[in-house]
Amino acid sequence: MSVVAGVDIGSTTAKCVVLGEDSQVLGKSLSVVGVDIVKDAERALEAAIADAHLSRSDVSFITGTGYGRYKIYFGQLVVTEISCHARGASFLFPGTRVVVDIGGQDTKAIRINEKGEVVDFAMNDKCAAGTGRFLDVCANALGYDVGEIGALSLQARRAVKVTSTCTVFAESEVTSYVSRGKDPKDILAGLHASIANRTLSLMQRVGVEPEVTFTGGVSQNEGMVQALRRRLGAPVNVSPLSQYLGALGAALHGRERIVAGGAS
Amino acid sequence: MSEGVASPTVPGGVSPSFLRDARGLQRKLVEDYYRDLGSTEKPRRPVAYMLVGGNLTEIVRSFGYDVVFPEIVALNCAIKHQSLDNILRAESMGYGLDVCGYVKNDLGLQDLGGKTSFGQIPRPDLLVCSFSGCYVYVKWWEALAESYGAPLFMYDVPYMREESPRKEDIDYLVSQLWELVHLLEKRTGRAFDMDALKRVLTESRRAEEGWVEFLRAGRLRPSPIEAYFESIFYMFPINVLRGTPEAADFYGVVNEEIRARVRDGNYPLPEEKVRVLVEGVPPYTNYRTFWDFFRKWGAVSVVATYPKVGGLFDRGFRHDPSRPFESIAEYSLGAYVNQSWPLRRKIIADYVKEYQADAAIIHGIKSCRSFTAGQGDLRDWLIHEQGLPTLYIESDHQDPRYFAAAQIKNRMDAFFESLEQRRAVAAVAEAAAA
Repeated sequence: MSVVAGVDIGSTTAKCVVLGEDSQVLGKSLSVVGVDIVKDAERALEAAIADAHLSRSDVSFITGTGYGRYKIYFGQLVVTEISCHARGASFLFPGTRVVVDIGGQDTKAIRINEKGEVVDFAMNDKCAAGTGRFLDVCANALGYDVGEIGALSLQARRAVKVTSTCTVFAESEVTSYVSRGKDPKDILAGLHASIANRTLSLMQRVGVEPEVTFTGGVSQNEGMVQALRRRLGAPVNVSPLSQYLGALGAALHGRERIVAGGAS
Repeated sequence: MSEGVASPTVPGGVSPSFLRDARGLQRKLVEDYYRDLGSTEKPRRPVAYMLVGGNLTEIVRSFGYDVVFPEIVALNCAIKHQSLDNILRAESMGYGLDVCGYVKNDLGLQDLGGKTSFGQIPRPDLLVCSFSGCYVYVKWWEALAESYGAPLFMYDVPYMREESPRKEDIDYLVSQLWELVHLLEKRTGRAFDMDALKRVLTESRRAEEGWVEFLRAGRLRPSPIEAYFESIFYMFPINVLRGTPEAADFYGVVNEEIRARVRDGNYPLPEEKVRVLVEGVPPYTNYRTFWDFFRKWGAVSVVATYPKVGGLFDRGFRHDPSRPFESIAEYSLGAYVNQSWPLRRKIIADYVKEYQADAAIIHGIKSCRSFTAGQGDLRDWLIHEQGLPTLYIESDHQDPRYFAAAQIKNRMDAFFESLEQRRAVAAVAEAAAA
């Protein structure tokens, strides 16, 4: 059996996907990234292999991606997460033409062709405005865990308008709304809408066309998915595997490399 | 471990082996220049501060002035990792985060006494604001005039919206040039010497011919030159020493070396995989790192716009000793940053064809809107109207706090990776068709 793995070391989390012969997902893992990226990568791989009930020797090819890709010393190939999210999204949703990836520190809009190849991409600036970190900071300011704010935002009655795109200024704006007695759910809805606006503007730089597939950690936030759908006025593909699409795409790149005979 | 679709071709390094005699001579010219400027011998030649764009070097040089370009001092500080101290000093004086890095480097350096690792920068005896297209620059020169108590000559250059200069613009500039001449006569007590100006212009023209020969070598496949990173080293003589025999002779050495490269097969990279057009000012604070991001992917810049900030000589302009004032006026109008965006686009589109560029990289700088504003639209225009894969990245030319290496590298890796991918797919399709 030709088993391949993709390891995606992002700014916040490490993801790994193990794929079987027919590219079915045999195992996966998700963990928080610490200061030792090399060990984090190894642990992510081991956890996904264990999830697949396999051993390390069963895995014939490993591809690394994400910001920490150069620290994945045990792999045979590195590919940027832009190409990996493109490939992963195209694999799950073959009609995908635009991928929106919102991770811990980056937001990316990637336009792809019918083969899952990158045609154009745009990313947020150096600052973390409109990313997972933005939501983390604002959730903390409101005293919530980031995992619960998406559902809470959907209970809003009248979303407030959050104008700041800077994470630091947005936190101050949240505090200001709290002091004015605004319902935290309305503030959360405003924050999600502000990220959706920013994301749409990034998408417009590469051209918006259906289908749109949402990937990255923030795609697991239902409030964000709804905010993006509302702003786009169109459906957005999301899957329970969306957060793993970088790792999945990396594994698929590895599979292609084996097929092309380029494994080293 | 291999990299994406492509394998890394060149390890990172700080001393590309294809740079030989010319780079050594350029270093010597720079060292000599700053040593002479820092000389404490009396009496010393008077010093004029000037901006690179549209500069009037030939006229002040004909009166025996040394010329200092604070922008070039600033970039030398940045490339030697000395700009941040100066910038922080300027910020402590009250200059905001978003003020041009060149300005803050210069004002901070001045406040710290003008001492750099490459020499003492002398105080100005005259300030010539030769580029009025940037209002920040105008205010910068006013601040210098106030600080040094030196006379300020403000040269008002009309913005270029048409390819050929209008007669009334030339006349307007020539009248200002005569005002400068009269000011210089008064300051030096010397009568204007037209023959001296013509001699300087003759040397300028000789340097311009040599510089253009170098730049046009980028048309060869593979290119024997690095038209962005290498050209930036060689901009120093054409911008700072133009009008001296040393500058003109320098390009003779450069072009001899380029011919030898072609003869010996000594190219910027072992394999030229991607021919790139580069637009924008480089991140001087991380110059080598940025260069390595190209080299790793076999990307060679074959043409670039930034080396033309001191003059669009490769578009045909030459200083002309037979029409001294008119040609200086034409030169000032023709500064790259003095061109409207439609004109800049035309230049870039012509470059893409003439130099057979496969892709473009635009480097925007946060603290300079006069060069950078419009580059986002340029990116869209190149992609959608010209069909040229184009990447826009952003940091700063002076302020290292704006350079996020991992993010820039990530964008460049993804860009070159997707180019490789498209090329591989096209090759398969071609093979199948055959």
